[in-house]
Amino acid sequence: MSTAVTGRSRRGTAARGVPYLFLAPAIVLFALFLLLPIGYAGYLSLRKVKVSGLGLGRNSRKEIFAGLENYRTALADPELWGSAGRVLLYGLTLLPVMLGLALLFALLLDRPRVRLARFSRLAIFLPYAVPGLIASMLWGFLYLPAVSPFTDLAGWLGLPEPDPLTGGSVFFAIVNIAVWGGVGFNMIVLFTSLRAIPGEIYESARLDGCTEFQLAVRIKIPLLLPSLIMTTVFSLIATLQVFTEPLTVRSLTNSISSTWTPLMKIYRDAFAQNDIYSAAASSVLIAGVTLVVSFGFLRLVQRQAFGGEDR
Amino acid sequence: MTALATSVPVHDDVDPAGPRRRPGRRTAWLPTAVLLIGAIYCLLPLAWVAAAASKSGSSLFTTFTFAPGGDLLANFREMSGYGGGVYWKWLLNSLLYAGVGGVLSAFVSGLSGYTLAKFRFPGRGVIFNVLLAGVLVPGVTLAIPQYLLLAEVGMTDTYWAVLLPNILSPYGIYLARIYAAAAVPDTVLEAARTDGASEGRIFGRVALPMMLPGLVTVFLFQFVAVWNNFLLPFVMLSDDDKFPVTVGLFTLLNQGQAAPALYSVVIIGVLISVIPLIALFLLLQRYWRLDLVSGSVKG
Amino acid sequence: MMRKKFGALLAVVLAAGLSAACTSDSGDADQGAQPGGKVELSFWAWAPNIDKTVDAWNAANPDIHVTLSKQAGGGDIVTKLLTAAKAGNPPDLAQVEYQSLPTLVSNDVLADIAEQAAPVKDKFAEGVWQQVTLGTDAVYAIPQDSGPMMFYYRADEFDRLGLTVPKTWDEFAQTARTVRQKAPKKYLTTFSANDPGWFTGLAQQAGASWWGINGETWNVSVNDAATKKVADYWGGLVAEGAIDKQPMYTPAWNKALNDGTLIAWPSAIWAPGVLAGNAAATKGKWAMAPMPQWAAGENKTGSWGGSSTGVTAAGKNKAAAVKFAAWMNADPAATALLIKESSIYPAARDAQSSPLLQEPPAFFANQKDFYTSAKAIAETASGFVWGPNVNVAYDTYKDAFGKAITGRTPFSGAVDTMQTATVADMQKNGFKVAS
Repeated sequence: MSTAVTGRSRRGTAARGVPYLFLAPAIVLFALFLLLPIGYAGYLSLRKVKVSGLGLGRNSRKEIFAGLENYRTALADPELWGSAGRVLLYGLTLLPVMLGLALLFALLLDRPRVRLARFSRLAIFLPYAVPGLIASMLWGFLYLPAVSPFTDLAGWLGLPEPDPLTGGSVFFAIVNIAVWGGVGFNMIVLFTSLRAIPGEIYESARLDGCTEFQLAVRIKIPLLLPSLIMTTVFSLIATLQVFTEPLTVRSLTNSISSTWTPLMKIYRDAFAQNDIYSAAASSVLIAGVTLVVSFGFLRLVQRQAFGGEDR
Repeated sequence: MTALATSVPVHDDVDPAGPRRRPGRRTAWLPTAVLLIGAIYCLLPLAWVAAAASKSGSSLFTTFTFAPGGDLLANFREMSGYGGGVYWKWLLNSLLYAGVGGVLSAFVSGLSGYTLAKFRFPGRGVIFNVLLAGVLVPGVTLAIPQYLLLAEVGMTDTYWAVLLPNILSPYGIYLARIYAAAAVPDTVLEAARTDGASEGRIFGRVALPMMLPGLVTVFLFQFVAVWNNFLLPFVMLSDDDKFPVTVGLFTLLNQGQAAPALYSVVIIGVLISVIPLIALFLLLQRYWRLDLVSGSVKG
Repeated sequence: MMRKKFGALLAVVLAAGLSAACTSDSGDADQGAQPGGKVELSFWAWAPNIDKTVDAWNAANPDIHVTLSKQAGGGDIVTKLLTAAKAGNPPDLAQVEYQSLPTLVSNDVLADIAEQAAPVKDKFAEGVWQQVTLGTDAVYAIPQDSGPMMFYYRADEFDRLGLTVPKTWDEFAQTARTVRQKAPKKYLTTFSANDPGWFTGLAQQAGASWWGINGETWNVSVNDAATKKVADYWGGLVAEGAIDKQPMYTPAWNKALNDGTLIAWPSAIWAPGVLAGNAAATKGKWAMAPMPQWAAGENKTGSWGGSSTGVTAAGKNKAAAVKFAAWMNADPAATALLIKESSIYPAARDAQSSPLLQEPPAFFANQKDFYTSAKAIAETASGFVWGPNVNVAYDTYKDAFGKAITGRTPFSGAVDTMQTATVADMQKNGFKVAS
């Protein structure tokens, strides 16, 4: 790839403005719908409500400056830390399972002599089309012992009745919804990368007596490594933002609290308890943490994707 | 469509085993079986919806889960008639939000990605990093501030309130940049400049067609993202005529404790709402460049 | 071709935008002032088929047009109202549950409509009217429906198992145990950690009083003796396995009602509509009785749900809005539509004697005197003062009771958690709270 040449040689000032002009729509939208709301959230996080009297008369409720009080409360809240720990555990469980399955399916799809591969590929990809809210509702039906087909199945097999919504297993029930929704997308990403590898590499290996398994482990997986890293990073970001699935499943069980994940706590503060100030403070804290994570992430992205483009 | 078809790197969509299959060898049973198990796992909840959609309200909870019933048409009519056909309005709204949002997003992403990949200018790295950091900000934390700010300009409860925040896609810009770097040769741009074409014309007539397959991917991602979004429209909209399907179905499930949830309407609604996305996948998969997600596009 | 179409479309859009801008401008200036000018009102509600009642109003009142927006019910609409009011664009009217009124009043969302609402005051029983005044001289909404609690049971299953309808909570506990003995797959009922309104109704019956006003100070006693008694009573039943502990309003709960796994439900007057939708297979098999009592011979009940129509403070046509709200909830034609189409039990006294309520609900066809006895039960409902942060207490209920059930800890502990959270939230916001 040759280094790009800009218009600097020819049109002087007019051309120098071009990149900024082209980026203007994105920058304006970014400022309006990301920066401004974030700034506003930051402002709200420093404020709180002050009620006078019984709070029932007109104008008895005023918004006042609160300093860092909302942050102190959030940081002292054991629920926030608990939910952060839970999301960490959730990520450590979800990512290997989801990406492992995606990799397995992608490698199998890329194997010769596999039947019905197109059908399987489409079927595994389909859950991507189902909104998280609806996916959680569907799985909820399948989890509830009273309406679940697995109850009948377990009955026929003489197994104990599965009840994924009680106690600790609800954690895995949520992980499963995320695996279901995410494995197909990641599989397609990895599979497409595999298809981009020239077939001749394999032919020579096969002639050397390589089995398909050895081929996958020794040649394909190393070649897939950049793609694997990228899918991991993007899945990781989605993982940190888990929220819809536990929120939806929550109405079906006693085992999920309203602060099960950090974003659920923000939702609870803002939507169930109408305290947008605390929600804003927690939002800013979480944005801060993700920003720190993002530095590592951006480094990674740039090395992976744009290493050759610059310099 | 013609522009799409003539533009370059169309991904082959033949059976992957096809070109490499060696004649006279048996089927690989184990991999086939594993893939089919995966397929069944993924289809299971959808099969449940399909079965449940054909059951009457009373047999929904009383008969074996996967046994189909005979009331598909009755349910369909009930859903179509609910609230004077409001479901279809929701479906059209979803198509509008996702379709227009996806196209605008693909265009803005394409323009930005192209600029970031093909121009050298001060601040390039910073702008890209800042835009990309947007991917890290969760929607939940933005929804209420966005609502309050849009209310300042009187734009809540309008189609714009859902469309505008969905145009910017950090992920889309990232993908477009990779694709532009790989698919648009500098020599072509140089030749166009030598011919005296303006930069706007070069982007519109030269770069954009070359980037189309990549932009189709950006469009699809954004389409799915908007289609699946619940919280933003839930917060922004109060007029149920403007609801997308996700919010509409949510209101049918949460009618307060004094009214039963309309499961039979919701279930067939879910089934039908998945169909447009499947159709879109099948339609666009020829042009779909997923490999650019992993950065493995060959320059 | 494309371009031409697009141009035309753009022109239409712009024209529409401009004309909309013009009309709303002039509307701001002279709405209400100009006689004969058409008034536009927006109305948020979730009651099923309430559009039929709104249509009837619009047909009869061409000068006051009401536009309905259907919303998700219960707590969701409160959040949206608060946000919309903060942003300065709430609807003119909204359906609001009684327990949310103080929250909305405290946030300046609802207007005091005492003056405009005075003519309809005597159409409602005093206890009901008290719910919309919050014990002050102001009036914040027009009552729409009420939810006195009663005991619903499967008459056929009770016969089959040889059970009698429990008159006291002691008998209720005994009945629950008998069900487990005679039919180990069945439960009398379930305790739901997801429905704070239900638990609050049960606590009201026992005489609980969670909020109170003393001068400029709020008294908060969510963990009073009555509430703890109710909590530990149910906690005991759950602990010994005499009743189920799954949440209500889930598909599994529907199935349990449908197939007779759950054979009773302490619920409110609107239960027939819910059962008809969720447990259609059991039509005609249910019966209704007064709630079991804490002491033999007593005659008390609580309320679960019930809602009112509030007029927002930011609305520009309060007089017209109150006119509509009063019509909808007190006019015989309107309440008849509400009873028939939205299956609500009207709050207005006259409407409770409506000919439509002479017949039992279709789902309870065998119980001819359904509404006559319901009316008698409704009059025994305890009053209750709601506080300004019921949402916090309710939200804490779900977490605390869910935890108590899964962790097998005493339910009275969960009530203490509710008290702590409720008081802490009020203090944080600057309310004066007596401890």
